[in-house]
Amino acid sequence: MFRNAMLSGFSSVRNVKNLFFPSLANIKQGRVSAVCIRSMSKHSSETEEEFDARYEAYFNRSDIDGWDVRKAMNDLQGMDLVPEPKIISAALKACRRVNDYALAVRFLEAVKDKCGNRVKEIYPYIIQEVRPILDELGVNTPEEMGYDKPELYLESVYDIH
Amino acid sequence: MNKLHRDISSMAGHLLKVATKHLPSRYVASRIFIPSVAYHKERIGNREVVGFGLNGEPSYIDRTDFPMPAIRFKENSQEIITLREKEKDDWRKLTMDEKKALYRASFCQTFAEMKAPTGEWKSVLAGTLVAMSLTIWIYVWMKKFVYQPMPESFSPERKAAQFQRMIDLRINPIEGLTSNYDYENNRWKD
Repeated sequence: MFRNAMLSGFSSVRNVKNLFFPSLANIKQGRVSAVCIRSMSKHSSETEEEFDARYEAYFNRSDIDGWDVRKAMNDLQGMDLVPEPKIISAALKACRRVNDYALAVRFLEAVKDKCGNRVKEIYPYIIQEVRPILDELGVNTPEEMGYDKPELYLESVYDIH
Repeated sequence: MNKLHRDISSMAGHLLKVATKHLPSRYVASRIFIPSVAYHKERIGNREVVGFGLNGEPSYIDRTDFPMPAIRFKENSQEIITLREKEKDDWRKLTMDEKKALYRASFCQTFAEMKAPTGEWKSVLAGTLVAMSLTIWIYVWMKKFVYQPMPESFSPERKAAQFQRMIDLRINPIEGLTSNYDYENNRWKD
């Protein structure tokens, strides 16, 4: 039990280090990773690669429908990680398969939001990695659509008298 | 067996009729329960249900931690249906306006709009400062109209006399007040 805890503790230390010190060398090697710090519960002894592969395979299902795509995206949003570019590419291709353009743009916005306060380091890297898929599918990033700044104003319900 | 079942159910129906005979009709109508799915479908109108959503109900909400709501935002009007047909084709053929229209058809606010600052802090700060200044005015009014005048022993001359008495009595001579007084020369030490 202690060995497992120590091992998972070590791996999560390595993962935390990746998250807090993504040096440029690491970024070039593609190691700004989907960090999964779940060392407290016993039944999530999955490695990062297994996690990435699982979600990529989920999105790559050829018969996936919009319901499942949205479920996986919402689940990813709830986790303490930024998804790997390969998961993002698979998700964008899944959006193409269900013929939902708005979903793809929304997902990119959501990923940018997950970057937190390191958005200037992580998000350009992600877009750079995902650029081939964006060009192939014809998806515009939120910045290209002008959605990185607010476009419309919505009156708060508390101001409506 | 069947006859018994029929008799019982007809008896139940008869009882229901008898029980509700004298109730006003509005009470009877509320006893008709719509299944919750139909209830929600009535309220969302023509909007397409696309996911499970936050809690399984087909509602729309903009949340940064739950980006894909259960239903699309706009109802399926004719333009949106034609856009959806175009969406099935190559996305590179869509114009920017069409892409924006598709986004706004599915979603109400973008992330930037959700997270935009509201400036509410200014009104909160202003309200707090106004409340504080009101209390200070109340204190001023209290001093002017409520409190009695101070006793004479608070006048400057009386206070000076009390202070001189403290010096004469050698109050706190070791480390306190009169330790700083030079009694030889009758003045304060430097």
